Amino acid sequence: MADEFVIVKDLVKSFKDFKAVDGVSFSIFKGEVFGLLGPNGAGKTTTIRMLSTVLEADSGDITIGGHSVKKDAAAVRSIIGVCPQELALYDDLSALDNMVFFGHMAGMDSKTAYTQAMKNLELMGLEDRAKGKISKYSGGMKRRINLAIALMGNPQLLFLDEPTVGIDPQSRNNIFENIQSLQKQGLTVLYTTHYMEEADKLCQRIAIMDGGKIIAMDTPHNLKKQIGNPDKVTLEDVS
Amino acid sequence: MKRALFITLNEVKLYLQDKGDLAFGLLLPILTLALMFGAFGSDTLFKSTANIVNEDNGAYSQQLIQKINDVDGISVSLISADDANAKLDKSDILIALFIPSGFSDNLTAGQPAQLTFKQRGNGGQEGQILASIIRGVAGDINQQFTVLNGVKTALAGKGIADSNIQIVVQSVLAEQSQQPAIDVKEEITGGSSQFINQYLPGIITMYVLFSLSLSAMTIVEERRRGTLERLLTTRLSINELFFGKYLATIARGFIQTLILLLLSYAVFQMFTPLSFLACLVVSIVFTAAAAAIGMIIASVSRTQSAANWIAIVVTMFMVMIGGTFFAVSEGSALATIGKFSLNTYANKAYGVIIAQNGSLGDAWPQLAVMAGVAVVGLIISRLIFRAVPGSK
Repeated sequence: MADEFVIVKDLVKSFKDFKAVDGVSFSIFKGEVFGLLGPNGAGKTTTIRMLSTVLEADSGDITIGGHSVKKDAAAVRSIIGVCPQELALYDDLSALDNMVFFGHMAGMDSKTAYTQAMKNLELMGLEDRAKGKISKYSGGMKRRINLAIALMGNPQLLFLDEPTVGIDPQSRNNIFENIQSLQKQGLTVLYTTHYMEEADKLCQRIAIMDGGKIIAMDTPHNLKKQIGNPDKVTLEDVS
Repeated sequence: MKRALFITLNEVKLYLQDKGDLAFGLLLPILTLALMFGAFGSDTLFKSTANIVNEDNGAYSQQLIQKINDVDGISVSLISADDANAKLDKSDILIALFIPSGFSDNLTAGQPAQLTFKQRGNGGQEGQILASIIRGVAGDINQQFTVLNGVKTALAGKGIADSNIQIVVQSVLAEQSQQPAIDVKEEITGGSSQFINQYLPGIITMYVLFSLSLSAMTIVEERRRGTLERLLTTRLSINELFFGKYLATIARGFIQTLILLLLSYAVFQMFTPLSFLACLVVSIVFTAAAAAIGMIIASVSRTQSAANWIAIVVTMFMVMIGGTFFAVSEGSALATIGKFSLNTYANKAYGVIIAQNGSLGDAWPQLAVMAGVAVVGLIISRLIFRAVPGSK
């Protein structure tokens, strides 16, 4: 399809004898929020790590924005932004310093990085805390900065790996609103979570992963039709 | 390359934010130098206080006290006899010089006079040196009297006034002290006699070796924070990351060394501008070599404690066998093992420039070895480095 922005084919990754990702295939359309849903250890994070060029796949192909991850990782890195599951911040630096630094890493000059950082901080509702040290931030504020950093460099594809783990409702709502607003601006998002409710709210399509495999993939509406009440869903229902 | 410099700047910024690290890195060299200044800040190595009981208070006893006070490193403390005896009893002092009453009168009358040392046991090593110095001062005065009395006796009845004889004799003795019949010359081997010059190289090498630990920790710390993986998803290449971290370690190690050298320059006036620059060059090359070894440790370590322990063991090994704490004799087994320590080459290079007033050209073999270690170490560390297990 012409508007497939991410194409993943038969992706396999093993760590010694453990097959973390086992023949995963899916595609994400441009401007879509695509959810990877599954329990801990399902292989969601490993999949994101391969897509974001951190890990090499044992086999399979990944193409992002027309660039092969295997052959042209540098081009892929220039169009992606990653918000990792674990906070990846410099606690001793201010939010602004963190963002400007990652802006530099995304190829921005100092002036552009500063302007973009202030814009992203405003987006997250943290502009008045720009110069505060990250170590003084609450967990929810750190999560928002974690996301704001992923947006430095104006990526075309954003990986959000369980971005709402362990945060307060206010910060969660802020993150949801921002994702929806960014999607309206044309951003493509790969969102992993183990909350069906989150995936239902944000994603146009969802792939459910377990044991390194995709066991179901459809729109939230169709998936709910298949499995009934999402609050009572079990993996057996969808596999 | 630009992104590598941003990595370096970020690392320096983080360093400046960590107060504990900053205090350790910057204040410790200052503290070390202050201690060195306390120990070696003066050219005089022997320093002591002469406790003197002056029961005479005549012109000659004053002259004697003045002459003792004029000796380099000795200061005079005048105390009463009771005080001296009490302090000797309590071992507060180990030796005191008593100048008895009538000392000046006896000398004026041409009669022998006596000084008394009262001491606890043998007076201690310092007391013995002090007594020996005071005997020398008394001997000089004694010689003046002997010569003066001898000349007066020889010229007795010739109608020459005693005052004229005294003026001539004192003038001859003063001239003789300027141009003595037997002159004792000090010949120093191995460059400057200043102790600071001998010890500074070892102190600098110790500080530079801290950068080995710093570079060993820098990547592990980035991994622990989670920022390493995040950096790998940006446009930053691994070579840029590696080079940026490497430069940052060199910068930190160099700043510490620069502080030490600048303070040594200011406090001890021990450099010429040229030797100062030469020392900076040696410091950069040595830091680069130490940081490269640190990068190898960083590349093989998965955890912070592993990096820390490997760095400590390597640093201690290099310090122990590299002649930092004690001299290593040429041709010994330790000298052979010492060839595997960077300190051996750094100590030698600093020694050539600081203690022997040599130039960079004189230290080129050591510089070449350290530069080689820097290049080879960096290549090896990059080859074995894996940011994430199973990754590029």
